Amino acid sequence: MHKIAEVEIQHDIMVANSKLAGKNQKILDDADVFSVDVLGAIGSGKTSLIETLIQKMDHNIGVIAGDVISKYDAGRFEQYDIPVVGLNTGKECHLDAHLVEHAFGDLPLDSIDLLFIENVGNLICPVDFDLGSHIRMVVISVSEGDDTVEKHPLIFKNADLVVINKVDIADAVGADQDKMVADVKILNPDVKVIKSSLKTGQGLDEIISSIETFMKH
Amino acid sequence: MHELSMADAMVKTVLDVAEKNDATEVLEVTIEIGKLTMLNPEQLKFLLDVLVENTLLEGAELNIVEVPVEINCNECEYTGAANMDDSDHYLAIVECPECGERNVEITAGRECNVKNIKIEKEEGDEDA
Repeated sequence: MHKIAEVEIQHDIMVANSKLAGKNQKILDDADVFSVDVLGAIGSGKTSLIETLIQKMDHNIGVIAGDVISKYDAGRFEQYDIPVVGLNTGKECHLDAHLVEHAFGDLPLDSIDLLFIENVGNLICPVDFDLGSHIRMVVISVSEGDDTVEKHPLIFKNADLVVINKVDIADAVGADQDKMVADVKILNPDVKVIKSSLKTGQGLDEIISSIETFMKH
Repeated sequence: MHELSMADAMVKTVLDVAEKNDATEVLEVTIEIGKLTMLNPEQLKFLLDVLVENTLLEGAELNIVEVPVEINCNECEYTGAANMDDSDHYLAIVECPECGERNVEITAGRECNVKNIKIEKEEGDEDA
């Protein structure tokens, strides 16, 4: 004889990831490491911005370089003689808390005070996965089109800092950079939005001071 | 394409629970997906159908329940269901139905929850 039974499971995969993210943040806090999850589209300038911040910020910086194939970005960071871990996601489109926890094991957290976690270039999938970072910095560029914010609202809604990069070429690509700022503010009224150009240096001091302000709180 | 990793995690969760409960067959699986997750239910269903082949779950009825978005408004203190000004869940923009502001805290709608399963088991097996 067979019988039918209902079994309650209530296992939320998002909650499981969030719990791991909470553990990650505790590991970082215990080591006095402030962490920035750097999200953004492919080609928006995430890697170049982190390279610039490594050179300009007076901190002991480490980087987790997440990508489908991470060795290219990791190689760029390694030339600055800082701790770097490449995280290959393979076919996956985002980092998750479990992957990041593994990367901690390969980082000298005690000798780092600022950790950048470069997420996979993607404005959609990483939104769902907290990593345990202290802030989320979203980097987009004008060359992706000035409707980028409208088309990807959730990543901006969940951002702590937004960088609109490559504004020096806004006219050349026909993008209205002020519209992009306004679109972010509609979704996330209190978030700091910084227009930047790594070519001209515009906005870099503001990005640095914003990150340092977060670090103090 | 994180539907694949999510589907894989769901199948593993269900198989684990089914085996612990000595299921001989899984008849039904109910999964709750928040409307604000970046998961497409149709893609998820397709991948689940592929992943359950040759497992205890093969042939099980799959119920995907979409969880509506709920908010706490930071402007007018409204609590409850949100207005979604776009029918496409990918582009969902959440606003307060009372004051129209978008400065809101999302309290529901991000679930990816394996809620429950209905299984068949041998009569006399003790519940796990």
